[in-house]
Amino acid sequence: MIQPLTEEKRYTLTPGPNGMIETQTMEVSIGPQHPSTHGVFRMDVVLDGETVVKLKPVMGYLHRNHEQLAERMAWLGSMPYTDRLDYFNSMTNNWAYALSVEKLAGIKVPDRAEYIRVIVSELTRLQNHVCAIGFLLQDLGAWGTPLLYAFREREKILDLFEAVSGSRMMCNYMRFGGVRVDFDDRMLATARDITARFPKFLDEFEKLLTENEVLLVRTQKVGILPKELAVNSSISGPMARASGVEYDIRKVDNYGVYGRFDFRIPLGDVGDVYDRYYIRVLEMRESVKILQQALREVPQGPHIAPEVKLRNFKIPNGDGYGRIEGPKGELGFYLVSTGDGKQPYRYHVRPPSFINLTILEDMCLGHKVADVIVILGSVDIVLGEVDR
Amino acid sequence: MGFLGKGLLDGMVVTARNFVGSYFDKERLVTIQYPEERMKLPENSRTFPFLVFDGTAENLRCTACKICETECPPQCIYIVMDRDEKGKPRQRPKVFDIDISVCMQCQICVEVCPFDAIKMDNDYEKARYDRFNELVERLPDLLKPNEYYQKIKPTGAGEVDAKRKLEAEKKAKKAAAAKPVAPAVAGQPAAAPAAAKPAPAAVTATATPMKISIPEDAPFSAEQRAWLAGFLSAVSAGSAGVSPAVVSASPAGTNSAAPSAVVSKASPPASAGETPAPPSPAAAPAASAPGDWPWHDAGMAMPQRMDLAKEKPLADKLMAAMAQTDCHACGYDCRGYADAIAAGSESDLSLCLPGEAETAAMLEKLMKEAGKL
Repeated sequence: MIQPLTEEKRYTLTPGPNGMIETQTMEVSIGPQHPSTHGVFRMDVVLDGETVVKLKPVMGYLHRNHEQLAERMAWLGSMPYTDRLDYFNSMTNNWAYALSVEKLAGIKVPDRAEYIRVIVSELTRLQNHVCAIGFLLQDLGAWGTPLLYAFREREKILDLFEAVSGSRMMCNYMRFGGVRVDFDDRMLATARDITARFPKFLDEFEKLLTENEVLLVRTQKVGILPKELAVNSSISGPMARASGVEYDIRKVDNYGVYGRFDFRIPLGDVGDVYDRYYIRVLEMRESVKILQQALREVPQGPHIAPEVKLRNFKIPNGDGYGRIEGPKGELGFYLVSTGDGKQPYRYHVRPPSFINLTILEDMCLGHKVADVIVILGSVDIVLGEVDR
Repeated sequence: MGFLGKGLLDGMVVTARNFVGSYFDKERLVTIQYPEERMKLPENSRTFPFLVFDGTAENLRCTACKICETECPPQCIYIVMDRDEKGKPRQRPKVFDIDISVCMQCQICVEVCPFDAIKMDNDYEKARYDRFNELVERLPDLLKPNEYYQKIKPTGAGEVDAKRKLEAEKKAKKAAAAKPVAPAVAGQPAAAPAAAKPAPAAVTATATPMKISIPEDAPFSAEQRAWLAGFLSAVSAGSAGVSPAVVSASPAGTNSAAPSAVVSKASPPASAGETPAPPSPAAAPAASAPGDWPWHDAGMAMPQRMDLAKEKPLADKLMAAMAQTDCHACGYDCRGYADAIAAGSESDLSLCLPGEAETAAMLEKLMKEAGKL
């Protein structure tokens, strides 16, 4: 039974000194179980009405002690665990770790393996970006359609990954000095087929989304990340490029055989959510270009350096940092070897999702709650990588 | 952009086209009625490991060398070696458990196994009613015949079968080569220890020499030359029935010590991808040919093995202390590990996994006796 309000408890709606009704801010906890936070991630948001005045990202719900585990395991043993960092992009995670160890141990990778790595990584980029856009649209309220179109395309790529590596998402495909399984002609044909069809799908996807008025209204001038702020907070990947930072490790480091391909780095100029959406579309088009070249030129030869042993291989004393341009940004592994042990002395991951997420508050301030969800969606995080 | 709302209408055209088109598209994704029909899995597809046996379940390939147990990243494998009443290892596991609730299907056990004994299954229907006991696969659950492996992974099984056949042939050849010599050597310490002593390195000097020398201008590196010399000698020994100790390997290799070292280095069946242990000059004079290792039998108990190697140099004694499975768990074969320890290039004495603590203790004792520890 509802008690009638007493005189004291009744709200007083007397205007304050500036002529407006005085209100209080409200603290809302979004997540960790909320689907729009892309996993177990929580945002402590202080709201003035519906406007965000303060936002604190709370992470750690999915912490699995990844780095410490790697420090008590053989070098190879961490490879399957890297699959579980950013579980959308296990191929690029594998590559980043393999690259760091190869750098540290001075292993030379055969040409064919490098090409295969480029092929699988660019396919990974395609399926990551297409899903990132799908999820962004999901966050915008476009229930199902764009995401399912995205998943339809992703399915073809994952089927190829399963045929090659044995698993759809937990590929565990790369090894120090190459890749575990060679691409046979049938798999290459499938990859060519996917590459050939993808531009058509992108055209369709763009027709569905790029000029959609609802999307434009919801994303333009929302969550602007200025160029200086992006650089100062070491944002990387499509997010940095959407803000106009010309920084792509494929171009900067030319790791692997990326120096041999002709592709361009798309840049945004505003740095809002729409730019982040569109930069991913453009990047996919560039990825298709790289794939076409790589699939045309893939050489014959061994798929793994024959001199590299799987077990008991000693890595010389020293440290090394290997990084790649993952679909979400700069993914790096910092490794320290004492030279005598079988496991790394220190193993550190530089995860793009985590570092890109740190700037969330600056992008969200002054926007409405509904925009926070969209901005978070445009960062493209995977909690497996944020928390490790 | 034309007018406000054009983007929306364009998008709707796309969805309508997809909606209608999906009924006519050849690549239309349709639901597979799962329990009744199943998708065909790609050959590489993997779920959980199983153990392969040839013919009968008694004849399983696993030798309980414990490499997979050590290398397994989430540590879901547990192995106990089978031993008979006297404590002799029987080169097969007594307990082999895989906790499939912990296993993360990474395939590393398969990659590191030197015996092709553990392979990935593609059975994904592992749901159980019990959380604990039923999710631990015991040895009987894990055993599957080679025919099953051939069925689920024809290409991989074909490669493995071919490799195993080749190895078996090599082994048979080697056994034939070793036969004429082995009894004589085995009898040596007991029958005529004094007579054997004057020529420890050139044990087989009495055998008819059959020379195959590699031309000095042949384009080989020193290491390749050494390997080739060993290989040729093994082949010639196999065909002629004489012991291989007389191949001149290097241009300068005219003394009797160098060739015998070469032969011993080439003796392990050169497994693919495994670089041979570096030649160890210090161990070279002490090393002997494969036929001289009567203790190289995993079924033999430690005291017996040590007894056979009693009169031998340090490297041989060390080798006799190993588990004799040539499992490469230490990164070498039994001979190579012993040589490496004797030469001082390997300081870790605890690498022999199948030998367990027994081997480690014996190695330590031997090294202490030799004054090297």
